[in-house]
Amino acid sequence: MTTTVVLIKDTNAEGLGRTRDAHDIFAEKVKSAGLADSVQIVRAADLGIYNKGVVAKLLPQGIVYVDVTETDMDAIISETIRQGKTLDAKLHRGGNEQVRIVMRNCGVVNPESIDEYIAIRGYQGIKRALFDLTPEKTIEEIKTSGLRGRGGAGYPTWLKWTMARNSFNAQKYVICNGDEGDPGAYMDRSVLEGDPHCVLEGMMIAGYCIGATKGFLYIRAEYPLAIKRIQKALDQAYEKGLLGNGILGTKFCFDLEVRLGAGAFVCGEETALIASIEGKRGTPRPRPPYPSDVGLWGKPTIINNVETLANVSYILLKGGKDFSQIGTDKSKGTKVFALTGKIRNSGLIEIPMGTSLRTIIEEIGGGVADGKKILAVQTGGPSGGVIPEKFLDTPVSYEHLQELGSIMGSGGMIVMDQDDCLVDIAKFYLGFCVDESCGKCAPCRIGGFQMLKVLEKISEGKGEPADIETLKRIAQAMQKASLCALGQSAPNPIVSTLKYFEEEYRQHIVDKKCRAGKCAKLLNFEIVASVCKRCKLCVKNCPVNCISGDRETGYTIDQAKCIKCGNCFEVCKFDAVTRR
Amino acid sequence: MVNAKINGIIVSVPEGTSILEAAQKVQIKIPTLCKHPDLPATAACGICIVKLKGSNKMLRACCTPIEENMDITTQDPEIVEVRRSVIELILSKHPNECLTCGRNQNCELQKLAADFGIRRESFPQHLPTIPADSSTGAIVLESRKCISCGRCIQVCQKMQNVWALSMMERGIDTRVSPAGDISLADSPCVNCGQCSAHCPTGAIFENDETAKVWGALADAKKYCVIQIAPAVRVAIGEAFGFPIGENCTGKLYAALRRMGFKAVFDTNFGADVTIVEEANEFVHRFTKKQEKLPLITSCCPAWVDFMEKFHPDMVGHFSSCKSPQQIVGVLTKTYYARKRRLDPANIFIAAVMPCTAKKIEIKRSEDMFASGNQDVDVSITTRELARMIKQAGIDFETLPDEESDHILGEYTGAGTIFGATGGVMEAALRTAYDYVTGGKLKNVEFENVRGLAGVKEGTIPVGNHTVKVAVAHGLSNVEFVIDKVRQAKAKGEELPYHFIEVMACPGGCVGGGGQPYGVTDELRVKRGLGLYKDDEAHTIRYSHENPFVKKVYKDFIGEPLGETAEKLLHTEYKPKPEYKR
Amino acid sequence: MTKLTKEDLDAASAKQSANRPYIKVGMSSCGVAAGADEVFKVFKTEAEKRKIDIAVKPCGCSGSCHAEPLVEVSAEGLPSVVYGRVTPDIALRILEEHVRDKRLVQDFIVDMPVRR
Repeated sequence: MTTTVVLIKDTNAEGLGRTRDAHDIFAEKVKSAGLADSVQIVRAADLGIYNKGVVAKLLPQGIVYVDVTETDMDAIISETIRQGKTLDAKLHRGGNEQVRIVMRNCGVVNPESIDEYIAIRGYQGIKRALFDLTPEKTIEEIKTSGLRGRGGAGYPTWLKWTMARNSFNAQKYVICNGDEGDPGAYMDRSVLEGDPHCVLEGMMIAGYCIGATKGFLYIRAEYPLAIKRIQKALDQAYEKGLLGNGILGTKFCFDLEVRLGAGAFVCGEETALIASIEGKRGTPRPRPPYPSDVGLWGKPTIINNVETLANVSYILLKGGKDFSQIGTDKSKGTKVFALTGKIRNSGLIEIPMGTSLRTIIEEIGGGVADGKKILAVQTGGPSGGVIPEKFLDTPVSYEHLQELGSIMGSGGMIVMDQDDCLVDIAKFYLGFCVDESCGKCAPCRIGGFQMLKVLEKISEGKGEPADIETLKRIAQAMQKASLCALGQSAPNPIVSTLKYFEEEYRQHIVDKKCRAGKCAKLLNFEIVASVCKRCKLCVKNCPVNCISGDRETGYTIDQAKCIKCGNCFEVCKFDAVTRR
Repeated sequence: MVNAKINGIIVSVPEGTSILEAAQKVQIKIPTLCKHPDLPATAACGICIVKLKGSNKMLRACCTPIEENMDITTQDPEIVEVRRSVIELILSKHPNECLTCGRNQNCELQKLAADFGIRRESFPQHLPTIPADSSTGAIVLESRKCISCGRCIQVCQKMQNVWALSMMERGIDTRVSPAGDISLADSPCVNCGQCSAHCPTGAIFENDETAKVWGALADAKKYCVIQIAPAVRVAIGEAFGFPIGENCTGKLYAALRRMGFKAVFDTNFGADVTIVEEANEFVHRFTKKQEKLPLITSCCPAWVDFMEKFHPDMVGHFSSCKSPQQIVGVLTKTYYARKRRLDPANIFIAAVMPCTAKKIEIKRSEDMFASGNQDVDVSITTRELARMIKQAGIDFETLPDEESDHILGEYTGAGTIFGATGGVMEAALRTAYDYVTGGKLKNVEFENVRGLAGVKEGTIPVGNHTVKVAVAHGLSNVEFVIDKVRQAKAKGEELPYHFIEVMACPGGCVGGGGQPYGVTDELRVKRGLGLYKDDEAHTIRYSHENPFVKKVYKDFIGEPLGETAEKLLHTEYKPKPEYKR
Repeated sequence: MTKLTKEDLDAASAKQSANRPYIKVGMSSCGVAAGADEVFKVFKTEAEKRKIDIAVKPCGCSGSCHAEPLVEVSAEGLPSVVYGRVTPDIALRILEEHVRDKRLVQDFIVDMPVRR
């Protein structure tokens, strides 16, 4: 008989103390009930549920009770454990459950074993396409699913494939875009590392649909483990005859090769990516013609993101209809986000489209640690925007995020709290785009640079009221006149912070103050004489010797000399140094 | 055909026409800094943006094909504002040195800034300190003035297939440079100067050597002589408001004489001598030995450099005959000096060429010093001469026509067509026909080697023989011709051609890298027609019948390909590495 | 190796993997960065030393990167659970307490609500 395990956690408390108390009481009750041999009470570190009092999760039943009191413990023992009855009143009403489609095998299979992947019905998707469906019917299945590209723009996958299928050419290509570059986003890496075969299978299905016999996996060179695992998966698939000629005894032939990205963000843009594979300088070219007509080496090519391809193999396995049940009207399926920033549980989450930002951050992510308040959330990486707290109830979908001036992007989600300065955040993202601009077109090349200069000026306290207009003017020029999505969307973090937090910019410009204390040059450190104990610790730690005085008169900071390093503030044991 | 509307005007254009080109058809100019009619769109400047009804994005007119039923707006306050912002951004990374720039009053960026009424510096200037590259002596690459439009790279890689220039770095640091940041002199650059003729600003500019000329003219000890190349006469007028292709030979002679040159010669005379030598060479190789065929023309120095670097296995096929510039130079400092009892050391001969590579040719090997001195002292471009005429205060527009000086100034119709693609071939065939058959052609005009097709092929019956010829211009068109020869040789098959003419610049010298700005195919054709008209106007249209050429041979050179001819009029070619380091 | 046929694929897929107890260590970049290599090694060598019959396998990241290294333990007679922030010391405790003595290790279980 399997032992029942009760995981227990006080979800209102930060430390372990109160969980320990609850555990001890529960364990005592189990002991007195004479169940000590068949029931184990185990303190959990995290149950993914927050602010619901004492939570008890019964395994293997999977029943979760919240706000468990001592009397409830008795009931759990007598009703659930002894009689198998659930206590409906205390049952946890889900809502924060992640749904795993893309990451269905991540953390489950050994990514270096094709046998394990096959054992969990791997390569059944391509088998179904090859034996039970035609390419047209396979595309139809994708159409039924409602899958849209997960690289950011959300273009319907079936439409892209149909265009490439209808493009007449003996040679076509499939490219997997694994050049994940948004700061803080790493879901593609995780899929490539955790379940490489599902991506290969997705590419094979894509190749079968459009009539391609060759594909490339373009993976950024900074992902050595992903490259190693993908290469191993490729070798294994070739060994088993799942790649190469005559796959599974059919006439379908498909070859795959890995190409490494050479370290440019813009190579995630499809035309730049193609140039890079061709061995040219990775710069975007005008579209049309689209790659589905004129792509790699001039041949029809489809480029799909890792996450999209992982969905494809699932859709073929489970059916498009099954997939379309998940998500919203226009955005089907799930989306993986890389949840980072001021959040308790940073990591990858996969949620059905339509889940609200609040659910993601407060329930799945566990909210901001240290009880601080959420200020805003940034989605879509450097091309995305900042969404203020008041819009957190917005459901996640391509359309909804766009309405708010942000984008879904590849799935970066960075949570900011009161300690974050939005001018600083905007500067960070813009700085990224300025570094990564390929330099081909003038609005992006020079516009981004000039905007960054303005932001630097503002954060250094040299801003002028006209700067906001200048920012808006350059932003407009970049959005309207840049060639590719990088340039067109690079001003988004600034446009969205200006839209929702213009006041914060004005504080920096007019009051020369940074609310969050991030813009060092706007800070003033002062010693409050009434609190100061004259210990001289700050004097000793000042790197520029700008704190003077003596034990009688007290100490003062020479503001002209101060370099705002914050050492005095950090070392003072009596909180006598103020930072404003 | 595609039917669409631009600013409410209905346009009907062939499929694939860009919005920019379609707009031109209905008299709408969409400003651009990067699109050049010669080149595919680079989509680099972002100024040609237009609005499409039903879309909130702006499209780039240069690279977006117009589609059925599109409703395009090319200007409204928002579009103008975006364009102005982009221009101001570009200006923020371009030095404010218009007054001291070679492109002053002739700069596309300056003109756009004027058109858009830019009256302020909205954004602080950010100017990188990149030293200028003047290593070649033909052109100067001044990265500071570069707006990264990418035209020069298209020219160098696509049009000329030289690949000396590429983009380096990225973002705000993006700049044009030879790969690996080597100097242009160490790069595969062949000095054709097409980059400088296409640059919208002063970032790539001919190496200005006018000061040398002024210096010599002011030097009382110097006996200054000048020669003008065929293509110069039909292009210089553009700098003075003459219609494109107008032949200004007479005014040029007059202007040069007024500038102080003691003798005004014509490179066309040298062209006639080149033909006599080259036709003899061809007849010799073709009829007697059938060796080293095809014969390949060598009067274009950029082409010579290109072949030495990229097709070293073929250099044996070059005509060993010097270019007309060098022939006039060497004859001036030998024959003319002797005749006039001048000390060749005191003769200063300048050449006006449509070409930047000619600046390098004058020192390309020891053979360029055959007279005992440097045969040509300086070679300036048409653009440089136009500036000199203006500096000299000469009212070029109303100058009376004058004649060239005797004896290296008279030329035939065959000499003048050297300046257009196919011209050398045509001139050589006229003379070769005579040499082989001893008879005269009924029609001296070989239409199938004329025109702007990239590669022109033809078969010409010469007596009992058939001469197969090919004419290529624009270095990217050479590969096709050379490969055909190479393949036939490798397989031991019959040669595809006996005679090949190559000019590095599209259109030949009329489209040279040193010619006035704004070159297009239309303009190349018009300049070429100017030369063909000059040919028609001449009664003597065979080089070997030029009475003064005959006289020089009789008095001085002796036999074509003879001892003196070999010493003074011929040279050698050697394989060269593409990169010097 | 011979090429797989459609039938081979179905057969391999139908064959349920034997219910052998296992330990899976999350070994994607996030896990490795948090020390998963070391933890994996401890499980491998120490299980052998102690003659504990359990399969030790790598797997990808299940998403809770903040709690890496994550280790899933499925021991006979016990429901499978995931431990987070596993150090070599805790790995040893997992082997001895959980796998050998069938007493789950306190305070390290991370159990996120996920539907697959």
